[in-house]
Amino acid sequence: MAQPRTSSHSGDAGTARIGSGARVRGRIHGEGDLVVEGQVEGDLAIRGELTVAQGASVTSEAIEARSVVIAGALEGDVAATGTVRLVAGSRVRGNLRGSSVAIDDGARFSGRLDCEFDLPPELGGASSRGEVRGRTAARR
Amino acid sequence: MASTVIGAGITVEGEITTDEDVVVAGTVRGKLTAKESVTIEHGATVEADIAGASLIVAGSLTGNVTASERVDLQSGARVIGNVKAARVTIADGAQFKGNVDMDI
Amino acid sequence: MAANVSIIGRTTRIRGRVTGDVDLEVQGFVDGEIAVGGDVTIDAQGMVGASVRGRRVVVHGAVKGDLLGEEAVVLEDGARVVGDVRAPRVAIAPGALVRGFVETGEGAGAPAKTARALQPAARPIAAPVRVAPPAAQAHAAPPAPPAKPAERVAQAAPAHATGGNNVPAAPGPRRPPPPVIPALKKAKGQIAKKKER
Repeated sequence: MAQPRTSSHSGDAGTARIGSGARVRGRIHGEGDLVVEGQVEGDLAIRGELTVAQGASVTSEAIEARSVVIAGALEGDVAATGTVRLVAGSRVRGNLRGSSVAIDDGARFSGRLDCEFDLPPELGGASSRGEVRGRTAARR
Repeated sequence: MASTVIGAGITVEGEITTDEDVVVAGTVRGKLTAKESVTIEHGATVEADIAGASLIVAGSLTGNVTASERVDLQSGARVIGNVKAARVTIADGAQFKGNVDMDI
Repeated sequence: MAANVSIIGRTTRIRGRVTGDVDLEVQGFVDGEIAVGGDVTIDAQGMVGASVRGRRVVVHGAVKGDLLGEEAVVLEDGARVVGDVRAPRVAIAPGALVRGFVETGEGAGAPAKTARALQPAARPIAAPVRVAPPAAQAHAAPPAPPAKPAERVAQAAPAHATGGNNVPAAPGPRRPPPPVIPALKKAKGQIAKKKER
């Protein structure tokens, strides 16, 4: 899985790593990338990419990052400006928001996905935003 | 040519409109409006009014038919409904009950 | 086998329901519920305005409605879905866009019988009912072991171990009805008889 090194787009900030034996309780925020291999309880606000490695676990109310890759366990809401990716073996519960959210076959997930896009006009276009249940479109 | 196939085992309840050929081997209840040909295969069950360029029926049809060109009822067809088309053929062995209007 | 795929062509528009125990490919527009026993493929230009149920549901196009897969739901790049997605296995490719609730794993997904699809669609995803049929519990000892639902569930989905952070898919096992005590039963019968006099 992703093991990001110093990320050039986040300036001089390097990669922070929370090792597999570590347990962190509290809020974490940073400029660069963060790789979590241990256990974290608390909110995360990362300017770069957040990676939750296999075997790691994150429990949070709010997670913000540029992009997110999850191979371990995560519980909490995720808001990414870029992509969110759940790889096979991950177990995630929470609401995910990003420019795109990918869930690999074999990932386990329960929660909402919220991507910004419009349906084609035949299906209601921009007016389809918000909660929609499986109803026949009322175009009689 | 691309066509729509309502296969055996499929049931459509509602209206179908299309610019393509349609082959019905399953069940259609409602209305079918096609621009090209409509084929109702042996074993199909259609309870719908049909409009199209041409219609071939080998299965069961209950409904009114309007075809701009022709309607062919093949042996084994069972049709109840009025047929309006420029040309109509009813094969030996086809069952038909309804009016035929070839005055288009 | 290949002959049993129904195709809703690109210029075809259906306003109504489509049901059946077959595979279906949608290249056009279905403005109504799809509930089939086979696989459903929504092509890149295909559109569906209501829920889609099938064994495997693969979406390349647009759907405004829930997607319910008995086995899997796959959203490919270019898919646009507003609605809930539930199946034992869900794969969402990069580039697929979704707005709705997504749930994977045992308990998620559509019931198998398409005969039920002809009934009103407004029924909840009956996941808990499906998982632990009471008949299976009859053999269990009174403290109903968790092994029973897990065993039933393992047949339905790939073998995921149930973990701590797992989605709450499989409910607790149903307790078997309390054992009937013959003595009480006899007493009840006597009491009933007394009342009758």
